[in-house]
Amino acid sequence: MTTETESTLPRFTGENPVLKFEDLDVKFKTEFGHVHAVKGLTLSVEPGEVMALVGESGSGKSVTATTALGLLPKTARIEGETRVKDHVINKMPARELRKIRGDRVAMVFQEPMTALNPVIRIGEQLIESMEVHGVAYGRQAWDRAVDLLKAVGIPGAERRAKQFPHELSGGMRQRVVIAMALACDPEVIIADEPTTALDVTVQAEILDLLRSLKDKLNTGILLITHNMGVVADMADNVAVMFKGNIVERGPVDQVLLHPQHAYTKRLLSAVPHLGDGHGQFGVAPNPVEETAEMALDVNNLIVEYQRAGKKPFRAVDDVSFDVRRGEIVGLVGESGSGKSTIGRALLGLIPSKSGEVRVLGEDLLSMKGTEMRKLRKRIGVIFQDPAASLNPRFPVGDVIAEPMSVHKVGNAKEREKRVHELLEAVQLPRSAYNRYPHELSGGQRQRVSIARALSLRPDLLIADEPTSALDVSVQASVLEMFTTLQKEFGFACLFISHDLAVIDSLAHRVVVMQFGKIVEAGTREDVLLNPQEEYTKRLLAAAPVPNPIEQKQRREARHALLRELGDTVVELDTRELDQR
Amino acid sequence: MSQDPNNTLQNVEPEETFSIEDDVQGTNTKSYSQGQLVRRRFFRHKGAMISLVFLAFIILLAFTSIGVGPLPGWWDKNHLDTYTLVNAAKPTFQLWPFSLGEHPFGQNTIGKDYFALVMKGTQQSLFIAFMVGLLATFIGTTIGAIAGFYRGIAESFLMRMTDLFIIIPTLVLAAVLGRMAGGSIFFLALVLGLVSWTGLARLVRGEVLSLREREFVAAARAVGTPAPRIIVRHILPNALGTIVVNATLLISAAILLETSLSFLGFGVRPPDTSLGLLVSEFQNALSTRPWLFWIPGMFILAIALCVNFIGDGLRDAFDPRQQMD
Amino acid sequence: MIKYIAKRLGISLLVLWLGSLLLFVLTINSGDPLEDLRESNAPNRDNLINQRIAYMGLDKPWYERYWDWFTGAAKCVIGQCDLGTDRSGRDVGALVVNAAGSTLRLVILATLFAIVIGITLGIVTAIRQYSGFDYAVTFMAFVFFSLPVFWFAVLLKHYAAIEFNNWIVDAVMSPLTIVIVAAALAFILMAAIGGKLKRRLISFGVAFVVFAAAMFYFDAVTWFRRPSIGLPIFAIVAIALAALIIVMSSGFSNKNVRNAVGTTAIVGIIGYAIMRGNLMSQPATFKLALCLIAAVVIAVASGYLWGGFSRKQAIGSSVVWALIASVVALIDLALSNWAGYLKENARPIPTIGSETPNYSSTYWNHFIDGATHLILPTIVLTLISVAGYTRYTRASMLDVLNQDYIRTARSKGISERKVITRHAFRNSLIPLTTIIAFDFAALISGAVLTETVFGWQGMGNMFKVGLAEVDPAPVMAFFLVTGTAAVVMNMLADIAYAFLDPRIAR
Repeated sequence: MTTETESTLPRFTGENPVLKFEDLDVKFKTEFGHVHAVKGLTLSVEPGEVMALVGESGSGKSVTATTALGLLPKTARIEGETRVKDHVINKMPARELRKIRGDRVAMVFQEPMTALNPVIRIGEQLIESMEVHGVAYGRQAWDRAVDLLKAVGIPGAERRAKQFPHELSGGMRQRVVIAMALACDPEVIIADEPTTALDVTVQAEILDLLRSLKDKLNTGILLITHNMGVVADMADNVAVMFKGNIVERGPVDQVLLHPQHAYTKRLLSAVPHLGDGHGQFGVAPNPVEETAEMALDVNNLIVEYQRAGKKPFRAVDDVSFDVRRGEIVGLVGESGSGKSTIGRALLGLIPSKSGEVRVLGEDLLSMKGTEMRKLRKRIGVIFQDPAASLNPRFPVGDVIAEPMSVHKVGNAKEREKRVHELLEAVQLPRSAYNRYPHELSGGQRQRVSIARALSLRPDLLIADEPTSALDVSVQASVLEMFTTLQKEFGFACLFISHDLAVIDSLAHRVVVMQFGKIVEAGTREDVLLNPQEEYTKRLLAAAPVPNPIEQKQRREARHALLRELGDTVVELDTRELDQR
Repeated sequence: MSQDPNNTLQNVEPEETFSIEDDVQGTNTKSYSQGQLVRRRFFRHKGAMISLVFLAFIILLAFTSIGVGPLPGWWDKNHLDTYTLVNAAKPTFQLWPFSLGEHPFGQNTIGKDYFALVMKGTQQSLFIAFMVGLLATFIGTTIGAIAGFYRGIAESFLMRMTDLFIIIPTLVLAAVLGRMAGGSIFFLALVLGLVSWTGLARLVRGEVLSLREREFVAAARAVGTPAPRIIVRHILPNALGTIVVNATLLISAAILLETSLSFLGFGVRPPDTSLGLLVSEFQNALSTRPWLFWIPGMFILAIALCVNFIGDGLRDAFDPRQQMD
Repeated sequence: MIKYIAKRLGISLLVLWLGSLLLFVLTINSGDPLEDLRESNAPNRDNLINQRIAYMGLDKPWYERYWDWFTGAAKCVIGQCDLGTDRSGRDVGALVVNAAGSTLRLVILATLFAIVIGITLGIVTAIRQYSGFDYAVTFMAFVFFSLPVFWFAVLLKHYAAIEFNNWIVDAVMSPLTIVIVAAALAFILMAAIGGKLKRRLISFGVAFVVFAAAMFYFDAVTWFRRPSIGLPIFAIVAIALAALIIVMSSGFSNKNVRNAVGTTAIVGIIGYAIMRGNLMSQPATFKLALCLIAAVVIAVASGYLWGGFSRKQAIGSSVVWALIASVVALIDLALSNWAGYLKENARPIPTIGSETPNYSSTYWNHFIDGATHLILPTIVLTLISVAGYTRYTRASMLDVLNQDYIRTARSKGISERKVITRHAFRNSLIPLTTIIAFDFAALISGAVLTETVFGWQGMGNMFKVGLAEVDPAPVMAFFLVTGTAAVVMNMLADIAYAFLDPRIAR
């Protein structure tokens, strides 16, 4: 084996890698020719090391990781080597490969909601790999499964083991997936975006768990992520991937604090940083005057979902807040907090049970028919998923002109002119006019959505997680453009997001929600820098920042906070696992 | 580290190109609209293409040979007159050297030209099948779209109709209605159309149910787009794949339904003719003059098979999962 | 879950009632019930007309006629069915009993065969996607989809039945036939097993030799004229079946399931060995039923006792073994009597009717007689409906194989066989439950056509004749039987759905 002299690394010398990619090269055959996903990559992971592989979508990071288990589809052509200890994964016969999978390399997947088989009990899914690899059988295996569930901090493990996956929450399921990966004491775990689908407080717990795991079991972890905060929190070493290649690598402090490569620099500068406030991306929104007119005034809003055979579910419970002209109000909360429900209720997409919503002084909930449509004209909307929010059968020009043609604004020629103005405003080329959405990238599509939202010159804009489906560098440019447009057009905006750092970069005021209720509301400075409520504190403490030193302090502060609040810090409880 | 970061740097382009997003989909590569993609994939489906050509051939043969209504065709005999027996009523058709002969498919018991009869039967069956396809697609799409979009009464109606068709099989209801139709092929087509739409409606409903939750529909609703416009402009064009594929399958089901009814005696009735009727008429001639039984059956099979293959090709062409393979 | 099924059942009954009203009204308006008499020249024409008017109640308004039928049919709930009289005054209720028996036997048998064969083929084609086997099965599925039922039935009747009857007279196969048939079977098996060229060649070679040897042996001892499975072979088959079920359900490493199925198999084989002689010499339907019940009880008990924490699975697997082994035992008993049957019926595959009229013989000969009458119609219906199941299973299986949890399972190092049997199989069955109900409706349609071709006096024939004569009573009787069967089938599908998918349980 070629020995790398990783002298710059304090702890990991590269002499005994458990996982090593060597000149790895992967090509895929597709309908439109070949895609070169990974181009000659070399990387290694040692016992007890967390190697973060960072990159944006399409960089080839997940493909790289998947080769370690030999799970790529048949259309893939792999050259070079992926080694686990002395085994060359991509050149092994299937039978040998299966002996390695789960036993020596295990994987934690991104989507806990779909990673578990819905028709098999959790305990039985855990037993499976133990029995396959001869770790334990029958009753003994079941006991170990229960122990594993206890170890990853699942309360009531005996009962949970007999349940089916749909009976557990997303965070719990991700713990089950981690327990499953630990079942055979693997030498290396590949965690492919393990926290991306989770809420920030749950993410912090899962990261604590993973960290204690490598410390206590000396397992090597290859962490695939796009989130620089997670990298700062977890990684020992970082490799930055761009278009199938590693462009920069090194210890986490060095790469995150003193990046050398232009791409890394750009990537880091694009990450919104909680606490840096307005102007992070070059443009700061104008301050709002005290006397500004109310654009949106919500009082005691209640929204309920009807459920067959059950009591209706109250998604929004007695919520009141307001947005003034020219103001951006950030609505923050985790999944299930009711923040998106509020957005949908304001847009009239779902009925509100009671309360009062005044848009520019007019009562929205009591309106009907033509009046309602007139008011709708003054509210614009941007949704989360740019791929889903554009009609795939419409070319971009039609997408942007559609609201105008619904409200019969201008004639065809004027509309076309307006569309070109808007394309220019969102910095898209004129040629985009005749393109179909599927030909555009995610960021371009979201620009199109913004152009559509602005086509009727709205007074109020509701933005529901407009950047959370975008890569971080794209997010930065979209946020910059968004802020510029807000300054220019002066619309009021309700900005719904789960990402506190994004809210921090542009909101004037912040409303924090949990379980359908407002927990805390106030100016950005008050809420984000000096939170009063326990939940807000937890939320802020759990949000990672892309600076390893600062993040370490934050983590310790969070653990202190948790202890203060009487909670325990999640860690792997290895006492239960000694019998092996 | 053995690899100097500056070394790797040289492989990568200068800073400007790092804005991934404008680069991901190169603006100068050839681009396809949805329709072009579908066409491209369909043309690559060999079974569907062969079937398309073959079906076109059958349609042309049926309609040009004996003509339609007052328009005469190139075949000099018709399906009504009786002719003197030639070649002991056996088929005179031969492939090599190609010749049709006097009566290519032979003659029936009383000397009618079987080729003309089969062509007439094919015409009738094709006419009914396409009419049923159109009618049932129209009804099914309308009810399915309304049920999926508005839910409520339309949805309950559709669901109860579906339950009804589980309890009264389509063939049974069609037979009762077909008996009422009394052999008129227009009325028969209408009746079959009225009993064939539920399957398509259910699928369209399912598709609309998922499309109405998509964000582009929410975006259209949020700007105040009236519901009919949302259905027609935003939802149905996106459900086109489901509609087209299942309309095709409806046609093949209709061919089989019509011939089955005619076989039972509740569809097309003598003196008119249809492929199912011919099979029924000559089912006992199998040991004596097998061609009288085989030929109409093979025509039914060929038409239904071609239509099914075309449907399969369309499904593959519309199904976005194809891109993964 | 019970609430959910009760609700579905309530809706079905409501629809059943609405359907009866609709069908009644349409039927009585579909033509003139007196047409044949009006055109007749019989001297007592007017008498006949009046008689028919009286039998059919033609002088009453339509709602009264419906009400009469409905109140009569509603009495079925208390076991006193009155389905009215047909136009010649015969009691329809009496006619229905026989007709319903033969038709339901046909339809249920075809459904079971179609489900088992269709699902098997669907899964194999999904696993071997884009292989020659996949293409061949897909093509055949399309052909069966497009096949006119009545046409195919006539062909089968003509060629399969008559040819087979000619052949069975001396039941001799020429060496060439044996080689060709063995090669064809071996080729199909090879394609289904798949693998690399070497493996394919080996599986082809082994299969060919086995098939050819078996056929030469059968030929030499004229097995087809006096076949028997016999106890030893039954035991071997039963043990192999047990092994297969264990592998499919939990694998041999789960000792609870392994022991449960093993115990059931051993007790079952011993039980059959004891009972076999008695069943051969003094057969009776209640004895067979008792044996079946005993087998299931043993299976449940063994599953319960051995089950431990995988009790549900142990009971399920044991019961599946008991049911399949019972069928194998039944086939063994029937085949052992085949030689005797051949002596009485030289041409064993009939093409007309659902039983030989006025046939009086032993219990087993009657059993074989019923079975041989069923063979051809069942083949027709099965082939028509198997295509649908194959395609649906294939699509559903492919869909499941693309799911994340399959990737998770693979990442654990589980063998591909176990990924399919344990992780993918059950999930792929879930969407299939919804098509069972639709398929059953299609099978009823198919039965109407098949019965016409094979001259069965079944429900389909009752419907056909009744409709042709504009006589509502037989048509409604047909509807009552098939509609109720469809509701029951629907309910079974719902239960299967709830059983397969834990997310439904409420």
